[in-house]
Amino acid sequence: MDKFKLEILTPNGLIFNDEVVSVVLPGEEGEFGVLAHHASLTTLLEAGVVDVEREDKSVESILINWGVAQVDEEKVIVLVEGAVAIRGESEGAIAKALEDAKELIKDIADSNPAIASVSAKIESAAQKLF
Amino acid sequence: MANLKDIKRKIGSVTNTQKTTRAMKLVSTAKLRRAEELAKRSRLYAQKMNQVIAEIAGRIECSKVGGLDNRCFEKIENPKIVDIVFITADKGLCGGFNIQTIKAVSKLLAQYKEKNVKVRLRGVGKKGIEYFKYNEVVLFDEVRDLSSKPDKVRSDEFIASSVEDYMDGKIDGLHIVYNGYLNIITQQLHVNKVLPVNADDFDCSKHQQSTLEVEAQDEAKMLDTLVKKYIQYNMYYSLIDSVAAEHSARMQAMDAASKNAKDMVKSLNVKYNKARQASITTELIEIISGVESMK
Repeated sequence: MDKFKLEILTPNGLIFNDEVVSVVLPGEEGEFGVLAHHASLTTLLEAGVVDVEREDKSVESILINWGVAQVDEEKVIVLVEGAVAIRGESEGAIAKALEDAKELIKDIADSNPAIASVSAKIESAAQKLF
Repeated sequence: MANLKDIKRKIGSVTNTQKTTRAMKLVSTAKLRRAEELAKRSRLYAQKMNQVIAEIAGRIECSKVGGLDNRCFEKIENPKIVDIVFITADKGLCGGFNIQTIKAVSKLLAQYKEKNVKVRLRGVGKKGIEYFKYNEVVLFDEVRDLSSKPDKVRSDEFIASSVEDYMDGKIDGLHIVYNGYLNIITQQLHVNKVLPVNADDFDCSKHQQSTLEVEAQDEAKMLDTLVKKYIQYNMYYSLIDSVAAEHSARMQAMDAASKNAKDMVKSLNVKYNKARQASITTELIEIISGVESMK
């Protein structure tokens, strides 16, 4: 499958910069998936989980609180305000990432009904890792 | 001899000054390391953010599509009121760091005055505020303690009012002037025109194929949110960049001051020794001539 470049940036630096096969982004209008050669578009993202699939089929989940995605034929740039990657070597590290992730979405002021579903998604993403 | 005592005192005072400057240099070096790290990490995000905004602006400019008219991306031919936000340090003793920013702001003020454009000056940082107050320039707004401790929430609040005024049509432009960090020995002055978003650098011919597609039902709202975030981040980034630059400038200034003090102590010591020698010689001559006269 074709690959494309994905960059995820936070104000604290680049957290993801690699070739990926697909990425699912939590757009304002709903989730959407991006494969290589996607038509260019720019959209806002809301709090949710970004699922990244690499060439070796491994999936990585990154929680974001707000962002903007710019998609063009060759690459995808995602600018987010806060992000926590749900990954870790040990169970302890994953649990820590989970804590951070929950902390991050707690900060989102408006009582968004989407938050509950996001929390559930984080849990399930973590479950996959165990 | 009184002269000798004076020199001694002076040596003492210069040595004390040297101690202070050296301590300040060390403090700045430590602070710089932290500020520099923060600025470096944020730089990439700021650059990409600018890129994304510039591309949107460029595409709007090139395609001239209807329905995407947003005041932030329009060219305003005859501005009437513009906002200038300047960032200076809260403290001095950092060489030409503050004065460079102040000069740039004054230049900009003069330019707008020529064109009969009203300027609302919004100041961040004590030094700049004091300067303009002393020179009887009216400040529209002033914030202290923000430039030394950049805080995202406060900076967002501060700049949001300008952005809202712009969107409401109360002002026709927004500049951010600050002295940024280039490397450990150089600062670079930035005069950023953040509103309206500049689309001049965008090459239309390159992007003819791909059209802008904004995936949101309420396009205007999306652009508004995006521009707001962009400017808020720009402001915050300016603040952290300015802090890094301030510390590097202070470090340099204090280094130079310590060096000068060292040289001064050296030359004063020579002077002191000469004066001491002279007084001994005079005393000796007095004794010898006294003995001679008694013979």
